Amino acid sequence: MTAYKFLRSGGVGPFTGFVWQPGTWVEAPGAAPCELGVHACRLDDLPFWTNDELWEVELDGAVVEAGHKLVAPRGRLTRRVDAWTTAAAQSLADEAAARARAHADANPRDDTARAYAEDAERRAGQGKAYAATYIASVAAEHAGGAAGRDAERRAQAEWFRHLLGTSAS
Amino acid sequence: MDGYRREATSTTAPPIPPDERLLLERLRAGDEAAYRELLRQYTPSMLRVAMMYVPTRAIAEDVVGETWLGVLKGLDRFEGRSSLKTWIFRILTNTAKTRGQREGRSVPFSSLGGDDETDESPVDADRFIGDGHRWAGHWASAPRNPRDVPEERLLAGEATERISAAIEELPESQRAVITLRDVDGFDAEEAREILGISDGNQRVLLHRARAKVRAALEDYLNEKVSA
Amino acid sequence: MRWPWRRRAEVGPVLSRPEDITCREIVRIVNDYVEGVLPAAEREAVELHLNLCDGCSDYLEQLRMSIALTGELPPDALSPELEEELCAAFRSYRE
Repeated sequence: MTAYKFLRSGGVGPFTGFVWQPGTWVEAPGAAPCELGVHACRLDDLPFWTNDELWEVELDGAVVEAGHKLVAPRGRLTRRVDAWTTAAAQSLADEAAARARAHADANPRDDTARAYAEDAERRAGQGKAYAATYIASVAAEHAGGAAGRDAERRAQAEWFRHLLGTSAS
Repeated sequence: MDGYRREATSTTAPPIPPDERLLLERLRAGDEAAYRELLRQYTPSMLRVAMMYVPTRAIAEDVVGETWLGVLKGLDRFEGRSSLKTWIFRILTNTAKTRGQREGRSVPFSSLGGDDETDESPVDADRFIGDGHRWAGHWASAPRNPRDVPEERLLAGEATERISAAIEELPESQRAVITLRDVDGFDAEEAREILGISDGNQRVLLHRARAKVRAALEDYLNEKVSA
Repeated sequence: MRWPWRRRAEVGPVLSRPEDITCREIVRIVNDYVEGVLPAAEREAVELHLNLCDGCSDYLEQLRMSIALTGELPPDALSPELEEELCAAFRSYRE
């Protein structure tokens, strides 16, 4: 099945330091698929893993859903998503920060909401897309509870859907 | 200092590895060179472990000698279901414990006194944002990235000296665990078997020990940045 | 919802997701992460946080570096005297 994977610059796994070679199958050791295995994610979970490079991956074998990840015994990088550039990441961050600001504007007496908006804008200004999107989700929870948080993450996923050119539902 | 990833996973002691199998055959055949090889490889760690149980170095050397004799006597019976190393260290630990009791020294890990420290944070509380803030618990004063320190200012010898000093200052039980795990390279299962402690205790002691060593490294890195 | 690493309520925002784990909590469990013994859910929480937090990523780098440096500590050498003593015992046992 097709899934996605974020890597650090140079095709490096963010948590393992493993260097991925595009097109080459990677087998994961171990019998416990939830702990070990090739990690990837669905489109909806892309906001949780943003990093330097975005790749499409092909997974093989029994794919397990674990939290915000997909885990499989085998996988390979198939296509680099060139549309995920620094500028694209910046736009994701800016849009998320703008939503945080909207919450603050809607609640002008809420100091915390304003603080979250400033936090998100500062991170977006530093080009830290992941931090900006995370803060935006926290700001959304502050404004609208768990449902608000989920809605913010959905908005971020929708941004990725748009990036990838998938037609929105 | 690149490429330094060592993430041990806890496993049960594996059976005898292929290179040890050859060594075992040579030993059984009376090959003194093979014996010497084994002596050199394991005796320093064996002495260190023995010292955890007996009061003097001289007695530790006795214990090690007794252990090697026990190894020789047991060679024919050894079935290879664990590694040679694990087997040797089991004999050592039993010999050391027995001798330690005879010498009137209590087993160092019989009372860890660790449970009262469960809320101890390896990092000063004031390094984190205080309660009540929207980012309570996040870094107020974050550690620096080691790569921010100019490579030429770091002398590997200096860093390891600081680490060595930090280990020397650890409480005995923490020192024992970090030495077995990170200096001698035993895995979690082997270390806890050698020390006769539970998996949970091993993890807690290792966590505290490594945290203190990290703190010593951080001090060193911070000095080097401002140098 | 309380997560296993939270020993008591921390005063502050009520944040409900694993990724809301704080740096203070990370520092308590990061060695278990390095050891590979965290359950999957906690491991994911750590990873989500590392993605977010330079401070904790740098803490982890320092921890890994200190483990590696500890591994480079020279092993004690076996003194020639003790080595000969032990070998002599080997020879006499073989006789």
